[in-house]
Amino acid sequence: MFMTALFTFLTLAYPAAFAGKYDLKSITPEVNRALKGRQARYAQLQDMKRSGLVGENNKGFTASLKGDPAAETIVAAENRDRRVIYQALVDQNSLGPSGMMDVQRVFAEVQREKAAPGEKIQGPSGSWETK
Amino acid sequence: MIALLIAGCTVKAVGDPDRPITINANVVIDIRGMKETATGIEDMVAQGGTRK
Repeated sequence: MFMTALFTFLTLAYPAAFAGKYDLKSITPEVNRALKGRQARYAQLQDMKRSGLVGENNKGFTASLKGDPAAETIVAAENRDRRVIYQALVDQNSLGPSGMMDVQRVFAEVQREKAAPGEKIQGPSGSWETK
Repeated sequence: MIALLIAGCTVKAVGDPDRPITINANVVIDIRGMKETATGIEDMVAQGGTRK
């Protein structure tokens, strides 16, 4: 009886987690700003990746690799926007306290796959390599 | 059923108010589903960025 009640509670309270489907269910003004901000700096960020100033780390964020001031600024803004998006995914899909780490790991993997040859990426072990 | 318990959340059973039972567990994430979502978001960012 208790187990049935518990199962019902969990299924109702965490449908997204059990359904296996995730999404930005609500584009809040904060999330919208983050997405627009990322789109606005996308081309500049790609240029910095191609020139080796910026890489993709294994936590789903960009990293300034050579201390270039312009790159540092772009990286800080990009990471701030990414964190907003990741947190929205965690919150809106009820992913729990450990959800952020999983979201970051998955986005890092996607970034590694999307990286063009010659760009810097950090592998799961923490070592940096040129794709 | 054990798997579902592990995949749950924090549940407090208060049969005895002086001795509540607390179960702490993590939500299990479907990594493949999350990867599809992540890819979709990154594609959207790239396409929006390319158009500018």
